[in-house]
Amino acid sequence: MSRKWPDPTRVLVVEDDQATARLIQARLEMEGLKVFMAPNGLDGLEILQREAIDLVTTDLMMPAMNGFRLVQEIRDLPPPKGRVPILLISSNQNEQDMIRCLAAGADDYMTKPISAQVLVERLWRLHQRSSSAG
Amino acid sequence: MHLPPALVLQALIWGTVVLGTLVAGLVILGTGIQFRQDRQNRHRIARYQAWETDLATYLFSGEDTPRPFPRIAKEDRQLFQKFLTRYHATLAGREAEALRELYLGLGVHQSIPSRLRHRQATVRAQAAQEVGIFKLGEYLEAVVPLLDDPVPYVTHLAAQALTWSGDLRFAQPVVDWVLREERYQRERLLRVLEGFGPDLLPWLEKHLKPPAADPEPWILFALLAGSHRHRESEPRLLELLAEPNVDLQASALKALAALADPLTYPKVEPLARHEAWPVRAQAAKALGLIGGPDAIPALIALTSDPIYEVRRNAAQGMADLGHAGTSALTWLAEDPTADRFARDIARERLEWADERGHQ
Repeated sequence: MSRKWPDPTRVLVVEDDQATARLIQARLEMEGLKVFMAPNGLDGLEILQREAIDLVTTDLMMPAMNGFRLVQEIRDLPPPKGRVPILLISSNQNEQDMIRCLAAGADDYMTKPISAQVLVERLWRLHQRSSSAG
Repeated sequence: MHLPPALVLQALIWGTVVLGTLVAGLVILGTGIQFRQDRQNRHRIARYQAWETDLATYLFSGEDTPRPFPRIAKEDRQLFQKFLTRYHATLAGREAEALRELYLGLGVHQSIPSRLRHRQATVRAQAAQEVGIFKLGEYLEAVVPLLDDPVPYVTHLAAQALTWSGDLRFAQPVVDWVLREERYQRERLLRVLEGFGPDLLPWLEKHLKPPAADPEPWILFALLAGSHRHRESEPRLLELLAEPNVDLQASALKALAALADPLTYPKVEPLARHEAWPVRAQAAKALGLIGGPDAIPALIALTSDPIYEVRRNAAQGMADLGHAGTSALTWLAEDPTADRFARDIARERLEWADERGHQ
């Protein structure tokens, strides 16, 4: 399926596993997206405040600030930054974690292992939804 | 005894020389080992960095057939195996398939039978992991003996390899292995058994001894039925509620709570009055999930239970029911005629919610 991302579309990837992060980065850059990387929630939040980020994908379990806390911190920011679509990726299939994250304001949730193709598709849907919501 | 001073001096000199040589030898040896390790690490980092780029191109080239991966030097093949296994928990779908193709292209899987019998535990573990990750069905039989390996992480990886295959021929040895482990480990090991998928549940029903003869495997059955939300197991779970084993009853309740079928409520409700508190505590968790607001009278009764865990679960269960449950908790907290235990736990739960700004 062909997607026409607006240029530039900036994605923040918050992931402590560098191998995974670099693969996600490579796949997203192949889509023509501008990717910002952060190894934990604290650094991610800093990048989000500094840059005009359009989408966030974050891991759940991370040092310094975990994904759950990051979602809460982002949602506490004033709009438009506080409304940025967030896709949470976790290696944990714990239902309670999933519910907590969605309740905290994450827009979507994926559990590892993930298909990069599905990841891009989900980000595209999130982006479409947020664009049409204005 | 007096030794001549010249002899003492000579002995001291030679002693110092020997000691110095020994220390120098050790320093040189240590430096050599350190240098070798540094060189290996630098090599590994350089290889990994190059392969990461190559892998991204290989996986995401955007064409129907993946681009060929650069040739791996023979001396780097072991390193490359480790590199590939890092991605097993990350990649799924077409990318996982492409990763498997890449692994098979190395040809190292042919050494798996001998590596599964290797004297080094790390080599055995790596081989078992490869069988599981890259779905090498032809080596599964050779993995089974590793379930008796003296090294725990080797047995764990062997069990994982067998369950990921989804092949129920290996269900019996893996279930036996889980049952040999300490009970406190079981919940963790349940994750391994989940690898077989929900098909394991009918298999267990068919192959296990009756619960009265051996309740332990049925506890696993109940916990698995809950984690898979396996509705077809519901009739058996209801039967397990009548078994005399407290842990089995509690596990069956946990599973029924996960299924949340309101039709099971009449069979679950009487367990709120069970003589064993672990069963009552689990019933307190399950009642609201199964019965919804209809469970409020039974939950109110449990808030005056002599055991704190039961009262806490009942109050939590009421709070989870939303407005109806919270109203009941508020009524309990404010009613001077209510049981003291019930009043206190209702207040505690409401204060807890208040502090967090939600109910």
